[in-house]
Amino acid sequence: MATKTELSDVKLQLRLYVAGNAPNSVRAIANARAICEEHFNGSHDLEIVDLLDHPVRGLADGIVVTPTLLKLMPLPVQRVIGNLSDTSQVLLALGRA
Amino acid sequence: MTTGAVLSTHDLAQRLAEAEATIEALLSGQIDAVVDSKTQTPVLLSKAQAALRESNEKFHQLADNITDVFWIRSPDLREVQYVSPAYERIWGRPVEPLYADPQKWMEYILPEDRDRVATAFAILTGDGPSVDLEYRIARPDGEIRWVRSRGFQVRDAAGVLIRLIGIITDTTEPRRLQAQLMVSDRMASVGTLAAGVAHEINNPLAAVIANLEFVAESLGSMGSQPSATWLLEEIKEPLEEAREGAQRVRLIVRDLKIFSRSPADEPSDAVDVKAIMESSARMAWNEIRHRARLVKDYGVVPAVRANEARLGQVFLNLLINAAQAIPEGRAEHHEIRVSTRLAGERVIVEVGDTGAGIPPEIIGRVFDAFFTTKPIGVGTGLGLAICHRIVTNQGGELTVESELGRGTTFRVALLVADEAESKEPVPVKPAPVVGRRGRILVVDDEELVLHGVKRMLWKEHDVVVVPAATAALALCASGEKFDVILCDLMMPDMTGMDFHGELSRIAPEMVDRVIFMTGGAFTARAQQFLSTTSTEHIEKPFHAANLRAMIQRYLR
Repeated sequence: MATKTELSDVKLQLRLYVAGNAPNSVRAIANARAICEEHFNGSHDLEIVDLLDHPVRGLADGIVVTPTLLKLMPLPVQRVIGNLSDTSQVLLALGRA
Repeated sequence: MTTGAVLSTHDLAQRLAEAEATIEALLSGQIDAVVDSKTQTPVLLSKAQAALRESNEKFHQLADNITDVFWIRSPDLREVQYVSPAYERIWGRPVEPLYADPQKWMEYILPEDRDRVATAFAILTGDGPSVDLEYRIARPDGEIRWVRSRGFQVRDAAGVLIRLIGIITDTTEPRRLQAQLMVSDRMASVGTLAAGVAHEINNPLAAVIANLEFVAESLGSMGSQPSATWLLEEIKEPLEEAREGAQRVRLIVRDLKIFSRSPADEPSDAVDVKAIMESSARMAWNEIRHRARLVKDYGVVPAVRANEARLGQVFLNLLINAAQAIPEGRAEHHEIRVSTRLAGERVIVEVGDTGAGIPPEIIGRVFDAFFTTKPIGVGTGLGLAICHRIVTNQGGELTVESELGRGTTFRVALLVADEAESKEPVPVKPAPVVGRRGRILVVDDEELVLHGVKRMLWKEHDVVVVPAATAALALCASGEKFDVILCDLMMPDMTGMDFHGELSRIAPEMVDRVIFMTGGAFTARAQQFLSTTSTEHIEKPFHAANLRAMIQRYLR
């Protein structure tokens, strides 16, 4: 019960893994930015990580494919795989539906 | 309690959901890169796909253009996954039906080869990692082709058999060339010796002719010299010499026969290596005598399983090679040593020389085809390669040892023949003639032979001679009875074989009285006939004693 209140209090922390400027990666970055802009109104951090440049970071986060969006905070950690074109699915995964 | 050590059901469910999402994203083309689980580095799918496409293209370029057939099949052979286009060229058939019905593969193999192929491939689907065999296929145009098929198992990292792959090569042409080369090499070695042999034959023949002319002259002048004793004294020695000369010609011709058998007919028999070596040495003598002494060291050895003609070719080749390794002129200082000995299940025949020796850097190549150190025109470069093949084909081994400046030894190891195979020639005893007087019919188109045989037999038997098989048949048809019918095998108007056939129709009781006389130059049909018939034969030229003994057996 307490967690629920905490959830909305904690700043949304997202990390998007992409692969250079491959088509789905470019699309995922655009989609992620648009969703954040529209639904979270600046109360979020979105970090974009290029897996090709930082493979070790990907390993640490257990990344298998790109694009992968990680919701790091609030817990639990959630991942969304794909180019994030389905906004409602993304919001559901982020617990903001 | 430490976190993360145990996967909760919630975590498990989440991971499954993630895996599902990953697969879905992959399938819907939303994924750009995948982390390679082995190298733990991300791989761009676009690059991987391009690489895959490229490798696929390369594979097709290769598979479509090689002249061999390349195939891929399922581990149980039930499915044909790929067959390269060369199949259509070799088999003369379209490839599509094979994909639809893999059994067709077997259908196109000659029926007599199918069991062998099926057995080999059954092993490949089980625990045999590879097969290598040759078989024949039938093309729709009726042509039969030989192919060599090599198949391999492909297993994944876990050792599971995932597919079978193979290469098939058309060996029809190489086989034909090989056969041709073997014949032409034999012609070459016989050719080398032709001059020498002519010389060997001409000398004794000249003696025969000279002595016989002398006898004829002596008989012509008998009128003025009435004493029979004188005449006998005068002609006894020349006649003896003529007989000796003829005997030598007979031996040389017998040696030559070893090398002139048809290559189509190559049965393995129990053969005496010593006798073959002796024949070969006589053939090569003209090459040897100016260069070295021939030392013979024959141990007692059993018969070996080999083809007499081919083995003769090998020995002759080794002897001539040995001779040619020694410079001419100082024969007393050099030797060529031939030896035989038994080593376990094998008979070892060695031909050694005290010649120049073979440099170590080329000794590994002496059995290669077209490798020769002899001047152009002297060697074909095929001799040893063909010797090697012949010996290997007979289940033996041909090896070489050499020391520069000291000489070379070639060693032939041959399999001992099974005891049942060794058929010792039955020694013909010149038995004292005591039997009854018989009635003999002699059929030969050669008048000299008719007269000679008649002269051999007329004292003990009543001899009727006819110059043709038709005349002999007429006699038999008219009811004439003979104890023995001596019949030439090869006659122009009617062969001995046809005579035999006709006789069994018109006078069947006489058929087992026939003895064939054979020349030497056999046709394939005649050879086949002699090997299957129960009718006896005697080889020309024959000794009177042998012929008489043979006839006596029919008079009992």
